[in-house]
Formats: sequence, structure tokens, C-alpha cells
Amino acid sequence: MIGTTLAPNPLTLKQWQRFKSIRRGYWSAIALGVALLLSAGAELLVNSRALVVSYQGEWHFPTYGDFIPGRTFGLDYDYETNYRDLKRTFSTRGAGDWVLMPPVPYDAFENDLKAGVYPPYAPSVASRHFLGTDTTGRDIVARLVYGFRLAFAFAAILLACNFAIGIAIGCAMGFWGGAFDLLFQRVIEILNNVPFLYVIMIVASVIVPGFWTLMAVMVFFGWTGMTWYMRTSTYKEKSREYVLAVRALGASSKRQIASHIIPNTISVIVTFIPFSIASGITALTAIDYLGFGLPPPTPSWGELLSQGTRHLWSPWIGGSVVVAMVLVLLMVTYVGEAVREAFDPKQFTYYE
Amino acid sequence: MTSYFIRRFLLIVPTFIGVTILVFAVTRLVPGGPIERMLQEAAMAGSDVAASTSGFAGHGASSLSDAQIDQLKAYYGFDKPVIVGYAEWLGKVVELDLGTSTRYSEPVWDTIKDRFPISIFYGVTTLILTYSVCIPLGIVKAIRHKTTFDNLTSAVVFFGYAIPGYVVAIALLTVFAGNLGWFPLSGFVSDDFDDLGTLGKVADVAYHAVLPLIAYLAGSFAVTTMLMKNSLMDNLAAEYVRTAIAKGMAFRRAVFAHAFRNSLVPIATSFGNNITLIVTGSFLIEQIFNIDGFGLLGWESLVERDYPVVMGILVISSLLFMVGNILSDICVALVDPRVKFGSGESSQ
Repeated sequence: MIGTTLAPNPLTLKQWQRFKSIRRGYWSAIALGVALLLSAGAELLVNSRALVVSYQGEWHFPTYGDFIPGRTFGLDYDYETNYRDLKRTFSTRGAGDWVLMPPVPYDAFENDLKAGVYPPYAPSVASRHFLGTDTTGRDIVARLVYGFRLAFAFAAILLACNFAIGIAIGCAMGFWGGAFDLLFQRVIEILNNVPFLYVIMIVASVIVPGFWTLMAVMVFFGWTGMTWYMRTSTYKEKSREYVLAVRALGASSKRQIASHIIPNTISVIVTFIPFSIASGITALTAIDYLGFGLPPPTPSWGELLSQGTRHLWSPWIGGSVVVAMVLVLLMVTYVGEAVREAFDPKQFTYYE
Repeated sequence: MTSYFIRRFLLIVPTFIGVTILVFAVTRLVPGGPIERMLQEAAMAGSDVAASTSGFAGHGASSLSDAQIDQLKAYYGFDKPVIVGYAEWLGKVVELDLGTSTRYSEPVWDTIKDRFPISIFYGVTTLILTYSVCIPLGIVKAIRHKTTFDNLTSAVVFFGYAIPGYVVAIALLTVFAGNLGWFPLSGFVSDDFDDLGTLGKVADVAYHAVLPLIAYLAGSFAVTTMLMKNSLMDNLAAEYVRTAIAKGMAFRRAVFAHAFRNSLVPIATSFGNNITLIVTGSFLIEQIFNIDGFGLLGWESLVERDYPVVMGILVISSLLFMVGNILSDICVALVDPRVKFGSGESSQ
């Protein structure tokens, strides 16, 4: 078992084989990977900026970078070009200029209002609002896609911070024990007892929390879970023969922990990743739902959920975000179950 | 073992102080406390009156003199440093006085007390439904492992596990209350509740409770069912059951007389935590269905910056949480004679 590192060794290979053999976890992992890749390049798929504009024989790629003022394309304004209008203008003019729009030609912030009708607008293929718009006329597909990307990034960074702190302190607690262990046990118990939604709400009622403020508060209360598990597994591993052996050989504490104990607790760490991602997304969405999360107009699933509950007769708002959440959380949890089974194959005997 | 539990109970004290001092400090250190909120309201009311009587928009910030503000601060104890304020607050809590709500101007305990019955109703119903469905379901799933029934119920249970309760609540509200109109949108009882007969009252409460209960159950269902199933399967695979069956004991009897009893142990580990759920309910679900319970009170008092109530709720919920944890351990020690607390790793 010693040296279960990233290099493929027989055990890791076997775990990978087992993971692959659990079909729904494997396919969920692939689907999630594709969804993440697509959302990473969401600007190319869901955006109000055109992919390509061909104007007077010259090609422009407005997707990334500074905005291109309307004057560049012979329009009479200096602010950002409205590419949907430009497309219409070009096609009526018919001078060989053309605009290629992304499949969903809206971004997450613009209010696409129609004269005389109040939003929310129902889904319509003709207007390219495939899931309709929210109560201020913003496209729901765009809000969902950008909200997903943000929530996933948030959950991933949260996980990295929690794991870094949790593994460091947890290992130290398990390895040294004694007063250090006792002190942090109390700290963890206190933090576990504070309802962290309370603190977030108290803080949020005063300052509008940004991405990093929310992250800081959530890390402050979130690192304890991983710490507790790492403490227990370090404590167990520490008393096993291989650690005693390397200690007898004169390995330093640092070396014992870093190159022997942590690699052997990797299954605990890996198993927790998918579930931590799921709970990160859930927590952020809940805070946003209550209105204490990321400031508007940040695209967020929680904000869409709260719109959905306030506009029950526009079911496409609540419906799309609930379906999106169910799909993502189910897939993440399937992956989590498969990872857990791959690392800890429990063989049951059962009777026919 | 008794000494172990006594030590655990004594440890409640430092943890309780740690928890309350943390939240107390946060409520004090952030600006915009209840006094500021009152001043704002007074200013708004003042300018409204001024505007309606003379058309002159008086600047309301000076509607209270500085001396009056100081008086108000002293009344609510906001004039002292955090530590002194905390010590005074703690002294009162020890005398079972949780202070006065800044929003309702009545004792915090009275405000909280009114909300208990509603939260307890949902808590107890959820508890009874969870155990009366999950234990039998877990047994059947363990015995019929990998049959169609097992796979089908697993899919449902898994769904409840992956999806948080508040999302289930929103989905139910949208479909069944909003668009189909089968169930009421919000509240614990109808407006005409007092005019109904006894039977009508029961029906009314049940009618309002269906959707929130499903949302509450969605989460707790999955964990308990899978716990029951897995622990029963562990026990069925154990040598003593195999021996019993090899010696000719009927399978039914082997399951119920031997394996079942032992597999209840893990269920007991979470039993004490129910006490928290029973009393405090869920913040989000109560908020979504607008049920006037403990959770909604917490939310409202946070929004209104009614910090005495916030602290009062914190006192009750954190005490319950800690007592619940110890109760869980006592339950485990009672059902499982192998468990010895207090020897070796005392903190496990």
C-alpha cells in the first residue's frame, strides 16, 4: 500500500477499473466533465456577443476581449454593438456582410424586453429564449449556464480551502494528540454548534457579501468536517506497523505524515470530494435563495429559485432551475457513490 | 462510563460559552443593530407625518435626541463593550432570563414559546413517519438485495438523498400548490381555523401539512433507510447468522431474532439528534411554506435584526444539539453492551 501516489500502481489501476465498472457513476462523471467543459467555454455558446462578424470583407471575433463599439460596423453609436440588431441590419441590407451568433444569443445580464408586454416571457424557440426569461427579461438558459459555472467554481474553491486546512490540522491533531488535539476538539465543537446560516445572514444584512467574503465565512465554518475525518484516520494509521517501521528508521514527523500517512488516507480524501462539491453547491444556492448570497445581478440558481417561488404561475422559471439542480446533484452524487465503492468495495453475502 | 458522561455534560459549558460569545460578538461588531433600525423607522414615520401634514419633508435623523438614543442603547445594553455586554447577557441567561425582543417588546422566551407547538408537530410527525417506514423498508431491501424492488426503491431513496429538502419543497410548491392548486400555498392552518369543528381542525392541519412533510421526509428518509439496509446486510453476512442458518434455523427467524436486533445499533446512534430536528425544524422549509415555527422565527429575527431573539434561539438550539449528541451516545451504550465509552480514545 505504501506510496499510493498519482503514478498508476496496481491498486490505483484496480480502483479505476472498479470505478469504470459502475456504469452510472462512470457515465455521470463523463457527463459532468462535458458539462463543465461546455460551461467553461460558455461565452462561445450562450452570449450576446457574436462569434464572428464579417464586415466589409474583414472578420471580427468579439467573444473575448474589449467590447467593439457600434461605429466599427458602420452603426451610429459608440457603446457596445448589439449583435442581434446588427445581424438583422446586415441581412436586410444584403451587402455580403454577415454575423454568426452563438446558439443562445443572450448573456446573463441583459434585459430583453418587449414593448407592451411585461416579463417573464414563456419559452419560445422563435425568440431563442429556449427556457423563457425571468421576471426582468433575462434569458433563463444564460442564467442557468453562468450560474452553474459560478456555483461549481465556488464549490471547488471551497473544497480546496476546506481540504487544505482540514488535512493539515486533522493530521496534526491525530499525529501529535495531547493538548493540541484537545484544543482543536473544542474549537471544532464550537464551530459545529454555530448555525453558520445565522452568521452569514448577520454579516450579509450589513455588507453585501461578495464571492470571497462568502467564501471566507463558509471556509471558517466548513473546514471542521474534513478535519475530524482526517484526525481519526491519521490516529489509526499512526499506530500501524509501517509507520512504526519508518519511525524506527529515523524518519522525521514531516516525512512520516507527508510521504506515508497522507498517501494511505487518500481514500478518505477522494471519497469526500464529490459530496463536498454537492454540499457546496447546495449551500451557496440556499444562501442565494434566502437573498443573502452573491449580490445581484450575479447569475445564481438560488436567485432563480426564489423568483420561481414568487411567480408560481410562470413555471418555466422554477421548473428549469429545479430540473437543472436535480440533474447536477444526482450526477455528482452518482459519481460520489461510485468513487466510494471503488475505494471501499464492500462485498455482501446474501441469501437467495 | 458514568464519569465519562458526566464529563461530557460538563464540557457543554465551555462549548456553550464559545458558541454564544462568537455569535454575540458578531451581532455587536457589525454596524446596523436594532437601535439603528429603530431610528430608521422612526425617521421614516416622522418624515411621512411631516409630509402628510404640511408637505414639508422634515429630516428625520434628528427625531430622537442624542440623550434619548443613549437611553435606548442603555435599555438594550448596547452601550457597553462586547465582553461586559456578554457577561451581563450570560448572567441573565443563567437566571433563565433571555431578555426582551426589540421587535415585539415582549420577553424573548414568550416569543419563542409560542412557536414551539408548530415545530414540535412537524418534528414528531416526521420522526414517526421516518422510523415507521424506513425500518421496514430497509429490512425488505436488505433481504431482497438486487431485486427489481430493491433497485426501484433505491432510485427513489437516492433521489431524496441527492436533492436537498428545500429544492423538493420548491418543486412541490410550484407543481401541487401553485399550478394544480391541490394544496394550500402556505401557512400552518387556514384563516377560518377557529370556526372549524374538531374533525375539521384535524383535516385542516393535515391538509396544510402534506407538502412540508414530504419535503422534511425527503432528506431523512434516505439516510435512515440505507443505514438500516446496510447494517442488516452486514449482520446477515456475519458468521453468527451463517452459523444459525447452517444449523437449520429458519431464515425468517435468523433475520428477526438475531440479525435485526444487532442492526438497530447504528440507527440508535442518530436517535438523539432528532431532538434538535423536533424542536428547531428547518429554516428553509418553514420559510418556503411560510410556517410560523421556530425556523421562520429565527429567519425573521435575523432579517429584522432582533438580536435578543436571535441569541435566545441560539441558546435553545445549541443546548438541544449538545444534549442530543450525548443522548445519542447514551442510546448506543444502552443498546450495545460492547460499546465502552471513556476508555482509550475518549473523544470518539
